[in-house]
Amino acid sequence: MLALRELQAAFAGHLGGADRADLLAVVADGAIPAAARLAVHRHHVQASLGAALAATFPTVEALVGPDFFRRMARDFVRHHLPSQPVLAEYGEDFPSFIAGYEPASGLPYLSESAGLDWALNLALQAPMGTPLTAADLAAIPAEHLPAMTLRMASGACVIRSAYPLDRIRQASQSHDEATVDLNSGPCDLLIMRRLEDSTFVSLSAGEAAFVAGLLDGATLEAAAGAAFQADPAFDLTGCFARLLALGAFAALQ
Amino acid sequence: MADRAGIGLRAPHFAEIERDRPAAGFLEIHAENHLAPSPATQAVDRLRAHYAFSVHAVGLSLGAVDGPDGAHLARVAALAKRLEPAWISDHLSWSTSGGRYFNDLLPLPYTEEALDVVVRNLGRVQEALGRPIAVENPSCYLGFVHSTLSEPAFLTELARRSGCSLLLDVNNVVVTAHNLGLDPRDWLEGLPAAAISQYHLAGHAVNDADGRPILIDDHGSRVSEAVWTLYGEAVRRFGPRLTLIEWDTDLPPLAVLLDEAGRADGVAAASGRHARAA
Repeated sequence: MLALRELQAAFAGHLGGADRADLLAVVADGAIPAAARLAVHRHHVQASLGAALAATFPTVEALVGPDFFRRMARDFVRHHLPSQPVLAEYGEDFPSFIAGYEPASGLPYLSESAGLDWALNLALQAPMGTPLTAADLAAIPAEHLPAMTLRMASGACVIRSAYPLDRIRQASQSHDEATVDLNSGPCDLLIMRRLEDSTFVSLSAGEAAFVAGLLDGATLEAAAGAAFQADPAFDLTGCFARLLALGAFAALQ
Repeated sequence: MADRAGIGLRAPHFAEIERDRPAAGFLEIHAENHLAPSPATQAVDRLRAHYAFSVHAVGLSLGAVDGPDGAHLARVAALAKRLEPAWISDHLSWSTSGGRYFNDLLPLPYTEEALDVVVRNLGRVQEALGRPIAVENPSCYLGFVHSTLSEPAFLTELARRSGCSLLLDVNNVVVTAHNLGLDPRDWLEGLPAAAISQYHLAGHAVNDADGRPILIDDHGSRVSEAVWTLYGEAVRRFGPRLTLIEWDTDLPPLAVLLDEAGRADGVAAASGRHARAA
């Protein structure tokens, strides 16, 4: 007989793939052998967490197909079980796992595609705040603007990749046979929460540097400086208008 | 108690339910899918004005020797405070060990030691939530040789000592009885009617385990005839209670869920006592 603590530790070991004779010895057989009974639980853990990963990483699953994805997810789950029960918050380490996953090494854009899936998933869980409006902005004295910091809307982030992640994701989710030229990158994307979903828009290099600066807490002047450094032709007014129209800034506190 | 059976509220049905507001007794959500301020949570906030809600948790890990995760319990408590659901429940099982979450309702040995653990954990949970919850009998695929109590005896004692009520998942009784070689009617014997607050009904799959059929509680099909029969038996023995149709995999059109809920109402009525509004 195992005390409850030892039993749960042994069961956890079994679920992680270990052979636990001490656990097998305390499971009743009946018409079905104890090992087959225990296998139901191991299978459920792997299959249900694999399905959770597939829901969070649809681009990755579409790119590699369901069979490859299942094997990759199983290998991930074995070493990266969730630390808490909210499955929409599970998989943060999946993009970096994919980057080092030898069987997927022929798809160098796969890890970054997973990063885009994860960012869209995170944005979906972010609170839907009130966006900054043009009227809010007009009310700020112009001389205050350079030293101000502006918060981006909750869930917003920038992803910069050498690959055309936007076209890869769109092609993977449209189920058509469109081909994507992998050399048509790089791409800079702004990921954002919307009322009923999350989405991404393409940014120019200057816009990406500007938003990345604001996300880091830079003043408007410093963020604009970074943008001009990335792209001497950066259009600050046009960028501001575009981001305002997207609702990409959080309302002033 | 709701005057008719309820259904699970799942994302593919949000728009149709918001538009048509079908006559369901209540809506059930999984706590763990509504802890972040996602569009799903917004849909629930809008539907609160029209339906009573049941929050069914799967991750409190009531049987874990280390107890429920404090951070997760706090999130569920915050959800309960904000949503004010009519009912809250979780399972007689454990799902965490050593800081890892297994996403499975794992079995407990039915011993005095385990009973002490679940009573203690349930005390923490009910204190955090500020109310008693309902505890559901799990679907069992195995039993432990050192169990000294039957599952119904364990649940009965748990309700007596913790003040929780019992959520009788009729499908889980059928699944457990088949897998462990028990008679499902015997399983119902001795459960205290006063402690039973809810019934759950769902479909199950039949899988192969080393050449022998094993029933899997997958919530992926219509309620089986064996479950309908046992549900009628349970209502005759214990009386009508809040009843939920669960369906989580291969989700069908909403009309199928409502059809199943209607059948549950019919079975409850035919068993001699009509459900009464709360």
